[in-house]
Amino acid sequence: MIRMSGKFRSSLIIGGQGIRARKLRTLLSMVSLFLGVLAVIAVQAGGQVAEKAMLADIELQRGIDGTESLYLPQHEKTSQIVQETLQGKKGVSAFGSTQITIGEPNTTPLNPGGSSFDPRYSSFGGSGRYTTVCDASGMCYGKPVDEKQPPKGAAIELRTTTMIGDIRQFRPFRLVSGQWLDFDSAPSMSPQIVLNTAAAEGFKNNKIPAELHVQGGTKNATPRIVGVVDDGQGAYSATAYVRADELQNWAPAEAKPPAAAGAGKGAPANFGRSSGSGGLSSVFLAPGSEGIKQTLKARLAAAGAEVDGMSSQRTNPKKQMESMLNLMKIIFLAMASLVLLIGVAGILNVGLATVGERVEEFALRRAVGTSRMLLTFIVLSETLLTGLLTALAAIGAGVIGFEVAAMMLSGKLPALADMSFPWEAGMAGVIAGLVAGLLGGLIPAIRAARIPISTVMRA
Amino acid sequence: MNPLIQLTGVTKTLKGQEEPRQILAGVDLTVNPGDSVAILGRSGSGKSTLLSLLGLFDRADGGQYLLNGNDITSLPERKAAVLRSAEFGFVFQRFFLLKHLTAAQNVAMALVNGQGWLPARKRKAKVMAALEKVGIAHLAKNKPTRLSGGEQQRVAIARALVREPKVLLADEPTGALDTETAELVIDVLLAATYSGCGLILVTHDRQHADRMARVLRLTDGRLSRANERVLT
Repeated sequence: MIRMSGKFRSSLIIGGQGIRARKLRTLLSMVSLFLGVLAVIAVQAGGQVAEKAMLADIELQRGIDGTESLYLPQHEKTSQIVQETLQGKKGVSAFGSTQITIGEPNTTPLNPGGSSFDPRYSSFGGSGRYTTVCDASGMCYGKPVDEKQPPKGAAIELRTTTMIGDIRQFRPFRLVSGQWLDFDSAPSMSPQIVLNTAAAEGFKNNKIPAELHVQGGTKNATPRIVGVVDDGQGAYSATAYVRADELQNWAPAEAKPPAAAGAGKGAPANFGRSSGSGGLSSVFLAPGSEGIKQTLKARLAAAGAEVDGMSSQRTNPKKQMESMLNLMKIIFLAMASLVLLIGVAGILNVGLATVGERVEEFALRRAVGTSRMLLTFIVLSETLLTGLLTALAAIGAGVIGFEVAAMMLSGKLPALADMSFPWEAGMAGVIAGLVAGLLGGLIPAIRAARIPISTVMRA
Repeated sequence: MNPLIQLTGVTKTLKGQEEPRQILAGVDLTVNPGDSVAILGRSGSGKSTLLSLLGLFDRADGGQYLLNGNDITSLPERKAAVLRSAEFGFVFQRFFLLKHLTAAQNVAMALVNGQGWLPARKRKAKVMAALEKVGIAHLAKNKPTRLSGGEQQRVAIARALVREPKVLLADEPTGALDTETAELVIDVLLAATYSGCGLILVTHDRQHADRMARVLRLTDGRLSRANERVLT
């Protein structure tokens, strides 16, 4: 246990007595300081929330801090080499894209091109006269819809990300319901599918037969929709996430690489090397995966792929946001400091008035042996305790406000749902309260220490 | 044995807005342990100033001040605060009790002054012993507003005695009390001298002064033996 010095304990005891003796004045000081401390807490908490929310969105789209994106060259053996190299490796995920349709076969889906079901965004993704087609590199573009298209049916088209290795370790999609894909089990003939919220909306509002068709494939599978995630795309497009090795069996036959075809459990094969059929286009690498990267490059080079053109990019969302957030924080903290300054003026005012009233008490305390220094500490401890009490009250209000805001806004800002009141904001509140107590109490404390003892003799 | 207090040629000049006025012009005073000294004098004669110098509230301009044989004439403020706490007890005409504290807390004020630390239990025992000494232990939990003038002054005396000082300085402690209560207060102060505490009493009341071992008068800035009744 930490033993406090006698001087410190004395000043705390006397400071506490002073506060109890002047409850109303203490309350008035607290009121004047409360808004200032609350402003500091709000700015700090707001900054933290904004940072986390922005970071969460960026991470969903581009990967967590430090993720390296490696863009693969187009070559007939690229997907096969990637699969063989990454098989069973941790901290790495390769992915590509394709289009799948679930529902009545040979009909035009309800959302051609995987467009949104939300009327505000339905033009995104090709609803109407254009449809979206993605190539092997992951680039998607609009393609005019064939006028002689089949009649509309109960089918939903999904932009699909196919994966070797769990992409969620890099893009932390928030699970909305159900579960995420199981990468540990043997690949199933009935592919597991996780939908994003926009796609889930389509399935919720329409009766869709359980028949899965991969773009270019000839046979249809029975899909298993296992979960729904928030992938940060909002309502812009209907997207699905699938294990590459589970979708391969239903992809066009010519897309399967000979070496991997029929390899069975744990040996996924390429299911698409041509445009739009889900060829692996990129790899996410965690920091420290340089060895895997080099192996991959060497094997691709040996296969004749143009590895000189392979580019990579490291994601640093925190760094990118830092300067903007810092500027915002400085502006808001400056405003909060102004409000805090008014609180300091309030404490100073009450403190000076109180010292004026307590001249005899302070002179008497010095007469019985209290040093000037301790007298300074006594007055400061009163204002510091007042600041601390105010900070605690403001933190309480901040926590309640945060919970209410999170409850009300979690629908619009899903990132808020997982957040709790940032302790840094609480710390900022305590520091603001103590600094205000120190600044507001310093001049009264110095005045109190200067009161001559002879005041009690002249009285 | 060293005298408790020895002042030699102590001078003090007050410098206000008007011309400087010499209040003490070479005061000599010796007080031994257990001694009781009354100081008489007209208003403005410098009695309280002398008490301020004795209690280390202020410093003399000249002369020498020995406490237990140690020269404390120009003691720095920090050391003076230590001595005020350890060696001196003060009783004033006005009781200077803090209204928001109980009698016991007012007495404990002299113990909670940053000069050494006593655990709460020991502190309470000392406070109760001091209140017992002045005969008001049963009023320990009462606030000053619920005490009579005499009781309040006894609380103030308990506060002065709680650290068992070597010197008790009393500045007209009976000035605000009726005759009967005043006698009681003088009894309590004199009782402190039986345990070796020196008592210096500044008063206008010759009757109270005569109860002390020595009676001195401050005239023209000097102390002399008092032979006649002082006009108040």
